[in-house]
This record gives sequence, structure tokens and C-alpha cells, in this order.
Amino acid sequence: MTDYPIDEIFRRAKLGELAVYPPKDEFGYNVFGADVYDKPRRFLLLDDIVLLPPQFTPERLEKGIELLREPLYIDVNTESVVGGFKVKMPVVCAAMGGTHIANLIGPKIAEACAEMGIIYSLGENIASIRGYDERLTKQPSFKERAFSYLRNLNDGYGGLVIQQSVEDENLKLWERVYTDPDFDPYIEEGLIAFEIKIGQGAKPGLGGEVLVSRDVALRIKDSYYIPEDPEKVVKGYYEKHSAPGTFTEDILASQIRLIKNNFPRIKVFLKTGPYRDLDSVIEIAAREGIDAITIDGKEGGTGMSPIAGMRDLGLPTVSCLSAITRAKEKGINTSFIISGRLYDGSHVVKSLALGADAVAFGRPMVYSCLGSIPLAQTFIKNELFRYTLLRELGKLALNLGIKGERCKKGVVNYLKSVQNEVKMLTSALGKYYMHRLSKEDVGALRRELADLFGIRYVYDRGCSPLLEKKNIN
Amino acid sequence: MSLQKSEAQRQIPLEPEAFKQDIYRIVSHPIMQEVYRFRHRIARAMREFLDSEGFVEFDPILIGPVTDPGTRGAFEFRVPFYGKEYRIMRSGILYKQLLAAAMEEGKVYFFYPNLRHEPIDAGRTGRHLVEFVQVDLEVRDADHFQVMEIAERLIKHVIASMSQYEDSLVKIWEFFGSTRTSLADIKLPLKRMTHKEAIDLLMKEAEDPSVVKELERRFNVKKPKSRLSYKTEIPWEWEWYLSKIHDQPFFIYDYPKGARGFYDREYPDKPGILMDFDLLAPEGHGELSSGAAREYEVSRVFARMRETNENPELYKWYLQFLKDHGVPSAGFGIGMERLVKYICDLPSVHLARPAPKVPGVHSP
Repeated sequence: MTDYPIDEIFRRAKLGELAVYPPKDEFGYNVFGADVYDKPRRFLLLDDIVLLPPQFTPERLEKGIELLREPLYIDVNTESVVGGFKVKMPVVCAAMGGTHIANLIGPKIAEACAEMGIIYSLGENIASIRGYDERLTKQPSFKERAFSYLRNLNDGYGGLVIQQSVEDENLKLWERVYTDPDFDPYIEEGLIAFEIKIGQGAKPGLGGEVLVSRDVALRIKDSYYIPEDPEKVVKGYYEKHSAPGTFTEDILASQIRLIKNNFPRIKVFLKTGPYRDLDSVIEIAAREGIDAITIDGKEGGTGMSPIAGMRDLGLPTVSCLSAITRAKEKGINTSFIISGRLYDGSHVVKSLALGADAVAFGRPMVYSCLGSIPLAQTFIKNELFRYTLLRELGKLALNLGIKGERCKKGVVNYLKSVQNEVKMLTSALGKYYMHRLSKEDVGALRRELADLFGIRYVYDRGCSPLLEKKNIN
Repeated sequence: MSLQKSEAQRQIPLEPEAFKQDIYRIVSHPIMQEVYRFRHRIARAMREFLDSEGFVEFDPILIGPVTDPGTRGAFEFRVPFYGKEYRIMRSGILYKQLLAAAMEEGKVYFFYPNLRHEPIDAGRTGRHLVEFVQVDLEVRDADHFQVMEIAERLIKHVIASMSQYEDSLVKIWEFFGSTRTSLADIKLPLKRMTHKEAIDLLMKEAEDPSVVKELERRFNVKKPKSRLSYKTEIPWEWEWYLSKIHDQPFFIYDYPKGARGFYDREYPDKPGILMDFDLLAPEGHGELSSGAAREYEVSRVFARMRETNENPELYKWYLQFLKDHGVPSAGFGIGMERLVKYICDLPSVHLARPAPKVPGVHSP
């Protein structure tokens, strides 16, 4: 009887409907995602795939002839083109919306991304909650975040991706941006994309679930579903729900077409989630000429999602990645971005080897910024404080204040570490360009993953699946 | 042409910014006065025609909880309304559908002022204004082919009515360096081509390097051929080209879905194709009018609103009206300033208004 979840039932008895969410006092100060190291582990990860360097490296020979010396890992070129944007490394800063923590540190993360020449995305509800131009709260407005990025771009590397939720549509955010003289030069330069968001890893099939303060609730209550009327019920925070939006194949195709038609100078991205019909989504979007598709696996991060949703809704990231592998094999040549608990250079190299064009990072950006708080560094080493710290980091940051330059430095350092890792691992594979990475470079530790991706199972007798087939014949 | 500035440029600056300097000097110029008189005459001729056809004129409804979705990226203007935010109409589409259904005559029109916060690049086309007037009409129990016939008779009537003033027109033409010497004799029926036929024709023209070069130079676009698509609106530069190679107004119809709002009806038996049309003026003037048969069944409109990513919540009154009283109708809107530009052969549409608002230009 010891493992019967008495405390969980107590908690539910106390909180009622609210018990479906993580502790409310963390909301807006933290980010969440599915735990994967439950014992036993519930699903397979990219960590169940390893990289397989070869002894014979003809591409290294080619590179040596080009350089007239032995190539080193620093000779790996991490530049790439993703969704039509020229980038210095195949990493995208995932879209974060208007919650306290994401928004507060948003401009500093933006500056770091611009400096590193990677794509930066702006999530939903920033303009509606924080204001488009003028600040509606003490926090940065939509344009402050956008221009922290755009003004710091160098040499045409990077690109800004702007999402619009169903309710942001009330604001006509995209039309506002498209007709805004401040954005126009960047639009002309081809540095802006609009992203249709039709899913998120942590909550596929659910709309945006967010808590907002009373002043915000009063302001937006006509445009959003807020179960408790802030005029009648006085409390600190209110649940705010966005509709997930209704899609059919026809609706998706028409939306893409219309956006391409209405905003001809803009690139069009699609962000979808771990849905079972992912293959059809990809096929339709590619047919309509989408510039890039981001797929967020179920381990993906979120500002808020029902616990049961994070646990049990959707396909794991590796399954989503396999949809990309299949699409590439079918000859679909749109750009693909994968995300969902991916955070290091190894994840990047494996994803690219399996068909993705870039990897999106969300939580790593937040934590690498917050990790620059001196206290955080001390606390994180102490097991005892570790959990409290991760829980309270956002609050610490808000209360102690984040030193902007430190935050930026934290993110830049983090990105540099990833870039360095990508260079080393790619070089180990005997390759020097991102687009050269392929399925031969990876092997699965689990039979299921070998079958799923059509890659080598590392415990098979030293030959590739192709050779095996020959042997069988 | 010599290097010396033409008479027109010396006396009436062609840049919209010029209105900031000395608006009185421009609007009081004898040629501009004559242009404004033509706007008046054209308006009168349109009313004559529509009244004789049994239409009822309404005063425009300027603001409401929602306006139609813009196309080609134009934003809407908003005004406070007793604690809510109302929108200034980008077109009269929702209200004219309501009134065509409600009125016994089943035929209604407006001289509808519209505001559209167009993207900056629309300001360089010479064909887009932020503030403009549409003659917006709707006919109950009609389809797009029936209203196309009204549109062509209307154009013919207006142009025929202007022939009595041809001497004054010639002065305007000469002043602005037009090569036109007489008003076209409009021959009905006007030429009709489908969107697909138009794209086919332009794809063929795009093989000619001199055509491509001219479009690149004139519109500052790269690879104009790659901008042609069977799935989207015809790009501005190609619309100009198509218009330039015609000497009579003409129709393009059956646009692909995705190029227009939810209110243009999709053929029930041809999915993906809309029952709509554009009327284009010749000689490079381009689009004068857009029209269509309307979606009127609430189930279809609801699904179509999702396709254009509209929030149905905002359209409550409209959806309720369709649910209870929706009937087939069709209609179109003719841009007043564009019609003046075409008849007077003006180099830019902003010259058709006394205090024009051009995208991105702050002027009186």
C-alpha cells in the first residue's frame, strides 16, 4: 500500500480543478516538459541513437586537399539555409510567448541569437498581453522583442519568425507587422517569416492554457475564454484558454495559400506537434509550398499545460523525427525543424543525419540565461537545493533582477558550446558540411529505432542493413 | 521626350509627398479641378445607371464590430466604441449582403468610403490608396456571371456618358502626357478569361526576356516569372502587363481558393475554384473591380472562415443572419478613384483625390 498516491489525492481534494496543472505559484516563473527519466523510462529518445564515425574518410581527404593541411574540427562549416534564411548554425530559438519569464528575458535572448546568426521566433500572445508597440505592462512589448533581434543582425544571417494564435488574429498581428514602416526594410530584405501554429509538443490538440493577472484578464476578457469573470471574482490569477483551432486538410491548405497570397514578401513557416497524422500534415504543407515545418515532439517545453497532457498526449520526439526522415525519402525538400527536449550538439548532429535541417531549442535558452545568476551557479551544485532552484529560478530572477549582459552572455556561451560540439562530432564523422550528414552516420541502440528510421542496429553483426539484405538474398 | 521636365511635372508634382508642401496650389490647378469634375460626372453616371436598373442606394455604414478580412496584407483601422474596439470598414461586403437579402428590391448599392492600412510596397504601385471609395453593390438571387453583365453595361454606360465631355478629357490627357486621343468605344460582351487562362498566357509571355526585363526595371522585382502561380492572386507587375496588352476592359474569373476572402463562393462542383471575377481596365490601368457570388450557407461560411483564419466569434451577427435568412446573392465593388484614373488616364491613382492618403506618406 506504500506506493498508493495518497498525497496526490489529497492535493486534488484541496485544489479541485486546478490540480490538473503544475503548482500554480510556479506558473509564469518556470517552464515545464514531460519527465522522461521516470523509472522505468516510458519512451525512446534520441539518446538511444549513437553516432558512428568511420575509419575511412574520403571527405576528409577532399577537405585536406582544399586546405593543403590535415583538417581539424574547426574546419567544419556549420552554416546552413533553413526555410530560406541563411544561418550560422542549424539551431533555431523556439517560439516563446508572453509569460513573465519568457517575456522578461526575451530581448536578451534575442540579442544573443542575432549575434550567433540563428533564427529567432516570437510566440503567441506577446502583443495581446504585453502590447504591440507601447508597453501594456512593465514588461517588454512585442516590438521591443522583435527589434532586440532585428537591430543586432549581422551580414544577413538569421531570420525572425512570428507566430499568430487564433486570438492574436483579433489583433491582426501579421497585418500590423506587414504594414508597419519599422518592419518594412526587414521584410524587403527577406528576413521575416510568419509561422502558422497548429500544434505544440506538450499539448497537442489543446489550445493555449495560460494564467494571467487580474489587470490583464480585465483587458482581454472579451477576446479569450476566461472561466471566471474578473469583474465579478477578485483573485490574483485567472486561467485563460485559447481555442486549439479547427483544421481539416482543406482548411490547412487554404490557410497556407492565403498567407502566401496576402503576404508575398514573407516566408511562411508551419509549427505542428506530435500528431498521429503528421505525415499528411507534412505532405499538404509541402504541396502548398511552405518554407519550413517545425515539429515539436511530446517532450517539448511549455509555459503551462495540463500534467496529463504532457504525460499522455502525442508522439515522442523520435517518432516525429521519423516523419521527417520519411518525408525526405519521399523527396519532399522543404526545410524541417525538430524540437522536443533537445539541447546539445549531439542532438543536432543526429537530427540532421536523420533528415532534419535544424533543431529548435526552447528551455535551454531560458535556463542558459537564468543560469547566469551567480546564486544559481552555486545552488545548482548542491543536490539539496537543485530542485528548489529549478522551481524558483524564475522568481529569483524576477526578484533579484537579471543582469542583461550576463543573461545574453549565458545564452551566447550555451550556443557556442553547442556549435563547438556540432563541429567536433561532424568532424569525427569525417564530414565538414551540415548537408553531408546522413543516415550512415547514426546507429540505434534499440531495434525499434533501427526499424523506425531504417538505420543500422549497433548490435547487428558489423554490417549495414543494406549489406544484410544482400546476404539474405 | 527631352530631358526637360514636361509641362505636367512642372505644374503638378507627381509625388504624393507634394501635397504636404502646398495643397491649395495643387487642388486649385485648372487641370486638377477638371479631374475632380470628372469624378463628379462619373459618379452621376453610375447613379443614373444603377437607379435605372432598380437599385436602392444606402448610406455607408462606417464602423462595426468586425470588417471583412483584408487581402494582400492590408491592416484595419480601429476606433474606441464605449469600452469596445470597433473597426472601420475595409469594404461594405457584410452589410450589402444583409441589405440585398432584406430589401424587397433585392438590389442595393453604396458609395462606400473604405480605409485600408496597406503595406508600404502598395504605395509604390500608383494604384493603391489607404482612403478610397468603392461603388459597392449586391444583387439577390444572382450569380457572378449575372453581375458581370451588370458590370460591363455599367462601364459602357459611364464611358459613353463621358463622350460629351471629350474636349475636356483631351486637355487632361495632353497635360499628363497621355497618348490617348479618344475615348474607347466599349464593345460588349467584354472579353472573359479564367484565372488559369490568364496565368497560361502570362507564363508564355514570361519566356520573352524583354518582357521580364521591363517588369524587373519598372517594378523593382526579381524573377517575376517565379512570382506567377496558379494558386495565388496575379502579382501587381503581371496584372499591369496583362492590362497593358489590352485596349478594352476585360474580365478574369474563376480565381483559385486562397486568393480571396471567405465570402467568395466556391463552386459546389469545382472544389478549389471560386465563383468570382475581377474587371480590369486596359492600357496598364489594371483592376477596376472585384466581384463574386457569395457563400450564404452558414456551415460553408464557418468552414471557410477557418481557412482564412478568421475568428468566427467576431462575426456573430453575420453568421446568425446567414443562419436564419441567408440567400444567394452576388455583387461587386468598383474603385471610384481607379475608374477616374482610367478615364482621365492619370499617371497615378492619388491624383484622383484632392487629399490623397498613399501608404506610408503622411499628408494633409
